[in-house]
Amino acid sequence: MNTHLNLLIGLAMGLNLIALGSSRLPSLIQVVSAQGMLLGVMPLLLEHEWSWMLLAVVVATVGGKGLVIPGLLRRAMRAANIEREVDPLIGFVPSLLLGAGGTIAAVALSQSLPLLPEHAGLLLVPGAMASVLTGFVLLIGRAKAISQVCGYLILENGIYLFGLLLINSTPLMVEAGVLLDVTVGVFVIGIIVDRIQRAFDSLDTRKLTVLRE
Amino acid sequence: MNTVLDLIFRLAWWLILAPLLPGIINKVKAWVAGRRGPPVLQLYYDLARLWRKSVVMSTLASPGFIIGPAVAWVALLGAVILVPLGPAGAALSFWGDVLLMLYLLALARFCTAWAAMETGSAFEGMGSAREVSYAVLAEAAMVAAMLSLCVQTGSISLATMLAPSAGAGAVLLAAGLFTVLLAENCRVPFDDPNTHLELTMIHEAMILDHSGPPLAVILHGASMKLLLFSVLLTEAVLPMGDLSPFAATGVLLGGVLTVTVGVGLVESLLARFAFRRVPLLLTTAVLLCLFALLVAWKGGAA
Amino acid sequence: MVSAGCFVAGIAGGYRRPRTWLALTVTGATAALGASLWVLFGSADWEWLSDITVGGERLHLRLDALSALFLALLCVVGATGALYAHEYWSDRHYPRSAPRGRAWWSSLILCMGLVLTLSNGLHFLIAWELFTLSAYFLITLENKRPAVRAAGWLYLAASHVGTLVLFAFFAALASHNGNWDLGPAMREQAGLAPLFWLALFGFGVKAGVFPLHVWLPSAHANAPSHVSAMLSGVALKMGVYGIMRFSGWLPVPPSAGWVVIGLGALGALLGIAFAFAQNDFKRLLAYCSVENIGIILIGVGGALLAVTQGDAPWGRLALAGALLHVWNHGAFKSLLFFSAGSVLHATGTREMSRLGGLWRAMPWTAGLFALGALAVSGLPPLNGFVSEWLVYLGLLGSITGKAPAAWAAIPAVILLALAGALALASFAKAGAMIFLGAPRTQTAARAHEGGRWMIGPMIGLAAVCAVIGLVPALVWPALARAAGCWHPAWASAESPAPLATLGLVHVALALAVAGAAAGLWWKSRINGVRRGLTWDCGYATPTARMQYTGGSFADIGVGWFSWILQPERSLRRLRGALPAGAFHQERIPETVLERVITPVGEGVIRVSSAVRRLQHGRLQAYILYVVAGIAALGGLVLFGGKP
Repeated sequence: MNTHLNLLIGLAMGLNLIALGSSRLPSLIQVVSAQGMLLGVMPLLLEHEWSWMLLAVVVATVGGKGLVIPGLLRRAMRAANIEREVDPLIGFVPSLLLGAGGTIAAVALSQSLPLLPEHAGLLLVPGAMASVLTGFVLLIGRAKAISQVCGYLILENGIYLFGLLLINSTPLMVEAGVLLDVTVGVFVIGIIVDRIQRAFDSLDTRKLTVLRE
Repeated sequence: MNTVLDLIFRLAWWLILAPLLPGIINKVKAWVAGRRGPPVLQLYYDLARLWRKSVVMSTLASPGFIIGPAVAWVALLGAVILVPLGPAGAALSFWGDVLLMLYLLALARFCTAWAAMETGSAFEGMGSAREVSYAVLAEAAMVAAMLSLCVQTGSISLATMLAPSAGAGAVLLAAGLFTVLLAENCRVPFDDPNTHLELTMIHEAMILDHSGPPLAVILHGASMKLLLFSVLLTEAVLPMGDLSPFAATGVLLGGVLTVTVGVGLVESLLARFAFRRVPLLLTTAVLLCLFALLVAWKGGAA
Repeated sequence: MVSAGCFVAGIAGGYRRPRTWLALTVTGATAALGASLWVLFGSADWEWLSDITVGGERLHLRLDALSALFLALLCVVGATGALYAHEYWSDRHYPRSAPRGRAWWSSLILCMGLVLTLSNGLHFLIAWELFTLSAYFLITLENKRPAVRAAGWLYLAASHVGTLVLFAFFAALASHNGNWDLGPAMREQAGLAPLFWLALFGFGVKAGVFPLHVWLPSAHANAPSHVSAMLSGVALKMGVYGIMRFSGWLPVPPSAGWVVIGLGALGALLGIAFAFAQNDFKRLLAYCSVENIGIILIGVGGALLAVTQGDAPWGRLALAGALLHVWNHGAFKSLLFFSAGSVLHATGTREMSRLGGLWRAMPWTAGLFALGALAVSGLPPLNGFVSEWLVYLGLLGSITGKAPAAWAAIPAVILLALAGALALASFAKAGAMIFLGAPRTQTAARAHEGGRWMIGPMIGLAAVCAVIGLVPALVWPALARAAGCWHPAWASAESPAPLATLGLVHVALALAVAGAAAGLWWKSRINGVRRGLTWDCGYATPTARMQYTGGSFADIGVGWFSWILQPERSLRRLRGALPAGAFHQERIPETVLERVITPVGEGVIRVSSAVRRLQHGRLQAYILYVVAGIAALGGLVLFGGKP
């Protein structure tokens, strides 16, 4: 069980790095959607008894993170005529190195954290920290609004991984609530993106600094 | 007597088998594209023809233009002799021979770059500049891969390092080493060996001015290097030491064939990357090998 | 003793008579070399406590294996440099500075020899200072040129910062011990450990350890080439000697190994990155010295870590690698600086983009430079590989053993490999730009080979490189003795590394290379060799100016390191249908000096000149200061004092 879970989390961590290294928006969105689906099936491995509730949440997560949100992003891209280049503020190689360093640091750090014994062998905590860090690097280091949304989604994935630690004590409803929030957020951003595009002819967040007053 | 036979067998494997690999790659590419393609033995014909031809040397070139390829070829031969061949083991094995192998590859690189610069051509300058610069990252990946095998096996001698499988990090290691193989042997997506535009070449740009026997030596050396990397990749990932000699031979041949076909498929399905993307891909290879190292470290500790 | 006498006589007598001086210097160096080899390969250390007192202290000389190792290097480079200078800096070319150069050369060798043998803190400092000064006068032999004077001042200032710290170090040592005597007995006093940091800084400035290397590039580039060889090959090693000596004689803090290995790895990578970017070939060689000092420090750091972690045997390998690299770097870097000197002598320029095609006029220099380039890139079968291999074996030993030191060793190994690959790139660039292709300027086309006094010493050094590479087992006893001198627990003669096997492989490789080169040459001859124009994509009249330049060659690598190299570019692109002239200039600043030290220094000057305004000579104001001071003190007592 644990090895399978670790394999999935390892894959998710690898996807983090691919997200940092990808230079095209569609591939970035693909990576985010793949990661969302990966994380979506994880409760199945963690929970020992399957229930309808669990299945519903899994389906909702996979559908939401893996299909709906990426679909929305792709539609926003098409609607707003955004170019496919990612337009990095921090170069790809430096962000990749940052992400890798962060991942190694997360693994090293989680060794010294006082975790519950049943979580000690799992990669959940380092995976969560690495995803959060990747999300931040994307949020800081990319100019376009869509890639920022992707960064935000990866950040959320990290928080979701943290949430999995508490899966036994917290009802899955909480996660469902978070997911709902995110979906609504992406909706809103999608609409805003469209408006911004119409108003400014650009989606470069650097140009939004005029709005600071 | 036995050692002499062993050496002859080894040299035969490396010297005679090596030019087969580019032929297989080309055949795979032709097959994917639906063409008939050149014969598998094409490189042998080419080498034989080049060996008989006369040499054209640039008016600017010094004797280093001919000595360079010779030294590079000897360095590559020295490197392949150190690599164990499945059940046959290595011809010569000592503590730390893996470093000698890496540095012999570097010697070959230095000599090829030096011979290329002899002609004073800007194209060959470009080729060697790219070769030596990208090799920096490839070298880091190779060393990280070597370290992960060191940690895995607790040895720094190729014969024992390559015997067991690479453990949990095998997939990472295989992906990293395969990328390095593509980069070091100047295959797509790093370089296109079949391009006709000098500006976009790496290895081929370096040997534009070579002809006759020196070119034959360079081409043969390049094919030996490809074989060396495929053997390394196969033996690093698969548990050669646990198999019976027959099975190991089969696995080794199968592994080399798989890698070669893989290179051919990659060449058919991918386009060459823009040069500014090359460091990114190589950094990824470094990271893959580095993570394999970490997995090996953790795996051993637990 | 004979040697010392010879050098003193050399200073006195060699001023006017170059041949006498040369004979004396070579005799002295040979005598000292004999003594040091006797100590290294014999059994007993040599010690001499005289009744003569200098500054109230008795003169105490001690030649143990560690100092003998450095002394042997000093003698080899000193003698070959003297021979080289006989033609390179002859009385005919430099009637004014050549006699001075000879005198200071002898004095430099003598003082460095004293630094290596003196066993008294006070005398050590005196000899150290004299050695610094001799080197200063040698750097500024050509004192008519402003660049040389600036480089000299920078060297002097940096050296004195180092000496100041060393003064504090020795003073603290003396006050702790109650006397100025130095020796292995100090090892037992644990309270001395923090002094290691002072020694590391003071000697690190001289050794050119990465952030402290600011004086090194300009001094090495502007000094006459035989002096550059001496500075890079030997004088830097004095700093290394200091670090090794006092990490061996004093107890070290537990974190010392981590810091030293980190500094070494950083210096190795960044030093060679700077070297790759240079267009001035002597600066390139100078930065490469920073890299090699880094490699030596990696070895020393590994050894220190091993000592703190229970005398692990792999530390001995790392230390032996570092010690051998001291010799190797001395040999191949001197060889390279001598060949650089020949090029400079023949063409008068240090800019690689003004050279090219020199192999035709200077075949010997080209061949020897190529050999030195192979050695410095650490390629088999030459000596550079042997020492790097030993350092690698040491580090890998800690990794396979899963010692805690592996956390330092893994990054160090990767950085060392990166530095090796970059060194290869740098020297492919340097060799190709200087010697290959077509001459880019008229001066390069008119170059001429140096005479036998210049070629001879280079061949000698090349032979040293080849012999250490081919028969590494030969030098192992010396390394083992020096390592045993550094750490008594490692005093055993047997070699843990398969050096003999490596030597055999190297010999076989060398034979195969010679055979294959001759065979291919012969085959090409038989098939017929035709000369033709370089193929340039169908363009029929390629000119020398169309060749790839050093700047373009290094462009990819410089791009990766632009965060630290900070290249300054000025260019005018081609514009319009009938473009006017275009140009592209690039300069790689010495980042640490120009981006860190100079701004900080300017800040200090600004603050102090603002403070100086307070001192204007008006008595009334001074009295006001006094009153204000007293009032402030009073206020402090009233409000800030103890309740």
